[in-house]
Order: sequence, then C-alpha cells, then structure tokens
Amino acid sequence: MSRALPQPLGAAGREALLIAVGCAVLAVLVNAVHPRGIPLVAERAYEVLVPCPEPGGEASPVEPGDPLLEAETTFVVDARSRVEAESWRFRDALNIPYDYLDPTPDEVLEDLAQSLARSRARQVVVYGDGDDPDSGQQLAREIAGRGIKNVGFVRGGAPALERQAAQGSQRP
Amino acid sequence: MSRVLRWRGHAWLAAPVRWYLGGLFLLACWHKIADPGAFALDVATYDLLPLVLVNLMALVLPWVELAAALLLLAGLRVRPAALLVSAMMVMFLLALATALARGLDMSCGCFAAQGADQDPISAATLVRDLVWLGLSLYVVAFDRSLLGLDRLLAARTKARAAEGG
Repeated sequence: MSRALPQPLGAAGREALLIAVGCAVLAVLVNAVHPRGIPLVAERAYEVLVPCPEPGGEASPVEPGDPLLEAETTFVVDARSRVEAESWRFRDALNIPYDYLDPTPDEVLEDLAQSLARSRARQVVVYGDGDDPDSGQQLAREIAGRGIKNVGFVRGGAPALERQAAQGSQRP
Repeated sequence: MSRVLRWRGHAWLAAPVRWYLGGLFLLACWHKIADPGAFALDVATYDLLPLVLVNLMALVLPWVELAAALLLLAGLRVRPAALLVSAMMVMFLLALATALARGLDMSCGCFAAQGADQDPISAATLVRDLVWLGLSLYVVAFDRSLLGLDRLLAARTKARAAEGG
C-alpha cells in the first residue's frame, strides 16, 4: 500500500486497468441478481430510431400551366411509381420513384446529374402524386439537397398536369 | 512555464477538482446502474459498437464510473482513478464527435435516459466534455491527495517504517 505521492504514471495505469477489470467482474455479478438485469450479449438488435438529417434543399413550386414546363431547357422528372409512370407521363419525363422510407440511391441521382449535363437543361421540375405530402415536392427537395440547382415541383402533381393537358386538348 | 508547473497551489486546486469530478461521475453512473437496459439503448444509439459489445459496455462502464467517482472523492488511488476518468472522457468525446459528424439527432445519455429533445448532443456537449477531460488530466498531473486517504495511508506507512527502523 505504501507508495510515493504521486504514484508513477505507469504503475497508475496498471492499477487503473486492474480497477476496470474488477469493475467488470462486479458488474457482471450484480447484473446476475439485478431485477432489471440484461443479457451479457443482446439477443437482437436494438430498435434505435435516430432521425438522420434530411438533405432537403429549396424547391420552388411551378404551376401546371407554366410555360416553363414546356421549355426545352426544362428537365422533367416523374416521382411516381413505375406502374403509374408507365400508364401516363408528362413529356419524356425521367421516372425516379420516390420512396418515403428510403432515400434515393446516390447512383440514381448521379445518373440524373449526368442526364442533366447531357441535356443541357437549366432547371429540373419534378411532379409526383399530388397528394399531401406530395411525392414530387419531396423528391424535388431531396434532389435540391444533393447539390442540384434550380429544382422545382409541379403544384398538384401528375393529376394537375393531366387536367391541364385535358383542358389544353379541348381548346379549339 | 516550469515555474507555473511547479506552483505549490496546484495540489490544493487539484483537490476540489477531484471532488467535483467524483461528484459528477457519481451522478452520471446512478441511472445507468439502476436501469442497464435504458443505458444499453443509449449505447446502441451511438451505433459505434458491434451488437455483441453493446450490453457488456452498458453493464461495465457505469461500475467503472462509480469506482472512479468513489476513489476520487475519497482521495484513494487518485492517479489511477483520474486516469480512468480521462480514458472515459476520451471515449465519450470520440463517440460524441462521431455522432455529431454523422448528424445524429440524439440524446447524450450522459446523466439520464432522456429523449433527444431534452438532452440533445451538440458542440456545447463536446466542449463540456473537453473541459472535463482537461480537469481529469489536471488531477492526474497535479493531485497530491491532499485531504485524501492516499496521503493518510502514506503517512501511516512512513510512521510505521520509522518506528521499525
């Protein structure tokens, strides 16, 4: 027990290790009789719900009748499911189905960025299901959050575009 | 610089620092020992350890905190206890920095099992832990167990040796 003060650092380190080992043994023993004891190894993964920051950026609304939608410099993205996009889509919109639970894979967004570069488009407009929340607006925010500039979304989504298209075809 | 390091007041200053750290760790370990399941969830939330180590860490860490706290408060084995506190602070800092870098919106889990809205991690938590790391290293460097059992035991041993000699 006798030692000089302060204790040499090496000896203190060894003693610290011994204390930690002693604590580990004590912890396991106490846990065995603890009314709220836990298994030494978790049997299944903990359900940890940590909200990760959404890389949401600014996306401006675009009205369904906006001439911007028809412009050559506008790249249109359809955020609805593949089945919905196959049944009807606006112009030659690129289909990127939006999933509320999974972020859009990086490679999909990289493909989009390459398509944008090839098309020499100056803005991206996304339309979705037009629900509340609207998948088009969500995807537009996600795209904007990943560094793509000038991103907008169609207010009212595909239903509003379809109505607009129907009205347009009825005009003399 | 060496004059500053040799200042005799350090030993007196280190004693309250040691008590402060002891009290802090006593406070910190309490809820973790009482409810190891909740603390295991806190450990798992950091998402740093493999699942096989989560419970073991949640079980052992609070007891190390308790031991270090009691030893610091009593002034017994001060240097090993302060080294343990320093090692734990380094570990906490790494975990916090990683969680912050990953943008996790979570509770620190330092003093009680709280929600992310009550005890969120932030740069301030990181600074706070850095200060505590600094204090623990100060104790490692300068504490001479004034008003502590180490000094009492050393004096007793010295007296016995003198009697024997």
